Order: sequence, then C-alpha cells, then structure tokens
Amino acid sequence: MIQLARRRWSIAPIMAAVALALLVALPFVASPYLQGLAVVALLYATVAASWDITLGYTGLFNLAHIAFFGVGAYTSGILSVTFGVDPWLGVLAGAVGATATAAIVYLPVSRLRGIYVALITFAFTQLALRFVLSARELTGGQSGFTRIPPLRIGDVALVGGSPWSIYLAGGLLVLTVVVLRAFVRSDHGTALIALRDGELYAISRGISVLNIRLLAFVVSAVFTGAAGAVYTHYLGALTPGVLDFSLVTLLLSMVLVGGAATIYGPAAAALVLGVSIEWLGPIGPLRFVIVSLLVLLTVILFPSGVWGAIGRLQGEVRRRSRGNSQT
Amino acid sequence: MTLETAFAILLSATISGSLYAMMASGLSLVWGTLGVFNFAHGSLLLLAAYVAWTVGKVGGPAVQGPLAIAVMLAAMAVFGFLLYLTTVRPLIGRSNAELAVIISTISAMIIIRNVVQFAWGPLPKQVPALGSSSITVFGTVISSHQIVVILIGPLLLLGIAAFLKFARVGLAVRSVEQNPDAALLVGVNPQFIYALVFAASAVLAAIAGYLLAGIQFLTPDFGGDPLLKAFIVIVLGGLNSLLGAFVAAYVVGLIEALAIFFLGLFWAPVILFVVIIVVLLVRPQGLLGGAR
Repeated sequence: MIQLARRRWSIAPIMAAVALALLVALPFVASPYLQGLAVVALLYATVAASWDITLGYTGLFNLAHIAFFGVGAYTSGILSVTFGVDPWLGVLAGAVGATATAAIVYLPVSRLRGIYVALITFAFTQLALRFVLSARELTGGQSGFTRIPPLRIGDVALVGGSPWSIYLAGGLLVLTVVVLRAFVRSDHGTALIALRDGELYAISRGISVLNIRLLAFVVSAVFTGAAGAVYTHYLGALTPGVLDFSLVTLLLSMVLVGGAATIYGPAAAALVLGVSIEWLGPIGPLRFVIVSLLVLLTVILFPSGVWGAIGRLQGEVRRRSRGNSQT
Repeated sequence: MTLETAFAILLSATISGSLYAMMASGLSLVWGTLGVFNFAHGSLLLLAAYVAWTVGKVGGPAVQGPLAIAVMLAAMAVFGFLLYLTTVRPLIGRSNAELAVIISTISAMIIIRNVVQFAWGPLPKQVPALGSSSITVFGTVISSHQIVVILIGPLLLLGIAAFLKFARVGLAVRSVEQNPDAALLVGVNPQFIYALVFAASAVLAAIAGYLLAGIQFLTPDFGGDPLLKAFIVIVLGGLNSLLGAFVAAYVVGLIEALAIFFLGLFWAPVILFVVIIVVLLVRPQGLLGGAR
C-alpha cells in the first residue's frame, strides 16, 4: 500500500505536465466544435472533482451538489441580467452564493446519517428546482434567461470559439484540483478521512464532526458555484435544466468511473465522459439513458472494481490513507 | 380566516397527506424488509399512470375504470419485480448495498423518466377521475375522486399493518426483516420475500399514481413532486415506523397547504425546508422520536 502511494506520486507531475500541455495546445489543434464541447467538459470536471470531497472523502451521500452548481449559475445570471452587475463579480457572487447554500444544507445534514442524508439533499435540490420554476419574476421560470452577457477580458468576449474560454475553464479546473488536493492532504483532510473511517475514534481524539464536515461542504461548493456561473456566461442562456437530476447521473458516472476519493479520477473521467455526452447532444434526452445505463453497469459489474468505484467510497480508502499517513 | 377557507385548507392538506402517506409507506416497507431505498419509486408512479392512460385509450370507455386499474396493477407488480431483478438483486448482500442501491435506483429513475418521455411524448394527458358526482361542505366542493383519495390512504396503511401482523406471508416478511438467515432456516426464502415486497411497493406506487392522475395532468415530470414530499415525510417521520410516516404525511400536507394559502406557491418549498431544519435542530430524533 505504501509503495502504491509512492508510485502514484512519482507519475503525478508527469501526468499533470501532459495535461497542462494538452490544455494549452487544445485551441490550436481542436476543431471549434470540439473546443465548445471541451469548455463544458472542463466545467463538469470542476464540479465532479469538487463533489468528490463530500462523496468520496466525507463519505456522505450529498445529492445537493448539483444545487450548488445551479445556485452559482442563477446567482450570476440574475445579477448580470436583472441588475447589470459585471459578470466577473457575478462569478464571485456565484461562488459565495453556492458556499452559503452549502452551509444552509449542512444544517439538517449535520443531524442526519446514512440514507437520510441522501433523502434530505435530494429533497433540497428538488425544492430549489421548484422554487426556480415558480419564482418567475426572479428566475424567468421555465424559460429562464437568454442573452446573458459573456465574461470579457478587455475587448475579448469569452464565448464559443474563443481560446480564452478554454483557458478560463481549464484554469478553473487546475485551480480546483490544486486547492482540493492541498485540502485533502492537509490536517483538515486527514481529520475528514478519519471521521469517515472511524467516526467514534476520530471524535475521541478531539476532531469536531460539525466543523470539519461543514468545512468539507463549503470547500466543495466554492468552485462548483464558480463553475456554474462561468457555464452560464459561456452559454449566454440559463434554464432550470441546470438543476435537473439527469445532470446528477452524469456527474455520478464521472465520480464512479474515475474512482472516488482521488480528486484526479473524477476530473479525468469528467473530461472523457463530458465530451462524449455533449457530442451525443443531438440525440436529445436519450443520452441520459445511456449515461444511466453506464452508471448502473458500473455499480453492478465493478463493486469495488477496476477503478475502485464504490468500494473506495466506503472504506477501501482506509488502507491507502493509512499508508499515506505512515510515509 | 373564515370557516370556509379553513375547511378548504384542511381538505387540501388531507388529500395531499393521504397521497404522501401512500408513497412513504411503500418506501418504508422496502426499507424495513430489504434495508435499501428505492429512488425510482416516483417513476413507478409515473409509469403506472401512463399505463392506466394507455389502457383507457386503447380499450375505449368500456375498459376504463375497474379493468384499466386491474391491468395497471398487474403490469406494475410485474414491473416492480423486474426493477428488483435489475437494480436491487445484484447488489443485495454486498457490504455497501445501501449506497449502491441509491445509485442504481437513481439511474433507473432517470432511465424510466426519459423512456416515458420518449414513448408517450411531452404533451400533458388526462386520466379520468373516479366518478363524477360531488358534494358541497362549508362552501367547498368535494368530488367523489377526492373522497376516494382521502379514504384510501388510511385504509391502505391499516391494511398493510394488519397484513404484516396477521397474515402468514406478513409473518414471513417480518421474519426476514428481523433475521434473514434464521428465516431461511425455518423455510422462508428471503429472495422470494424481497421480490414480493418490491412488487407490493410498486403496486402501492401504482395506486398513488392512479389517484394522483385523476387530480393532476399527466406529464413526464409527474412522479417527482409527490416523491419529493414523501422524502420530506420520511426525514420527519423516520423510516422505521408506519405510524411515524403516517402522521408526518399529514403534517407535511398541512404545512404545504398553509404555506400555499398564506404565502403563495412561490414560498412553499422554502417554508418546507425551513420546517425540516427547525424540526431537526429541535428534535433530531424526528417528529415521533422513532429510532433512526
């Protein structure tokens, strides 16, 4: 196990360098169509990597993560369309709004465990969707917003076709992965893993469940909210679809296929699956049937699996993190 | 608030509560026996209503009513069994079954919803209400369909409770619930009981779906709202007692009706979530204090 952890680290810088080189080269080698898909996939990757904090490292089945994305998108969309706020400030506000939402969701979650966490977070996402649909004056209801101003750098608008869109989405992903990796490797991250794997023992050693898990929720929401806001300004339109549960299966497939509690895994899987799913866009909602079948098969065929899919969610990681702490 | 409005609010609360109780009971039956949670329960509701609509459409007025209901219930029992075979059976017995089944049934939920939308299209459809007569109480018109909804909720719950307590199969279900291995020793096959319970919960969902379809238009989003409310009911009432879920169902129905009346549809979701937070902060053990 210790050897495994070491080997992982020795290839990590090379992988990171290759990924960065690919990102920089992407606007020059890919077709405009593929570039458009890549921007969305990069944003999905940010969301999936962030979800890994609550799903993989905290071990709580938090289904409200998609709501953090939606809150980020709607905060920035409403601010820039209705109030004429600068889109960059909107992205900041989106991140703050999503973070505040995470703190609110954590209130009931802190009192619940197991299946009830999944129920309450699912309920929160659905209630948020219902609120968006009924609060038409504020959110535009079913039809949402169109003509949302794009983010700008000087005179360059960050819309489809601009290489800067890719660099922005890619930069956000890199920032997310770097910060989240630092977080899970910090003392707070160790405390989080300790709580997941041996709650009573961790508490007896003086770790505060409330504070550490609240921190995990907040950290997972910051970049997710920002990604939601960037997504909105990039597409120039916003509908309640950002809160739809189909997105949850898509993100879930990314975390499961990529391997939970790794941060890199979900991000990498998100890029592959994200581009594929956007490429399948023309076949309409049926593409979510394909994604859902993929998730179903992954769960059934790879129980602790090729990519350590679900097993890692609940305790497989215990051994590896123990290895890490000894090195 | 006049007597008339108070009565109208109570009526709306009772109708909703009755539907939520039906949904929550199906969910907690599966939870109690199999130890897993079926997120696709709302899609069963959806599918049932579309099946009933199709049977009525194909057969014409002659088969509407009892025959359409019978066909729908049979179809949904079979479908519930198939759902169990594909999404739950392969995962039962694994150490992470609880988590794995959340994921597999969420997938099933998305698949069913999208297939329904593909097969039947997004246009709203209407399933005829049960009976066309109505009575007027305190200035509020109550249709025969609404009366059926109000009565069936509590009756079904009583029926389930009596079945579990007195029937031989009910005894077998409880034995599997308490100790699957010991149940196997005395000749009860847990796999059979699991499949049976899952099919029964699909039938419960079908009844709720048919009753709701007489009130609301049928769209591919149809099952989502009652499922959401059933989840809230379960968070407040707990999964381990039918009584807790029953009480919580009517409490949620009442809060919802009051919020819609006084603050509008707009704020109802916000109020419900605030109520959950307050209840959990004040009473972490849930409304009736059932163990969770």
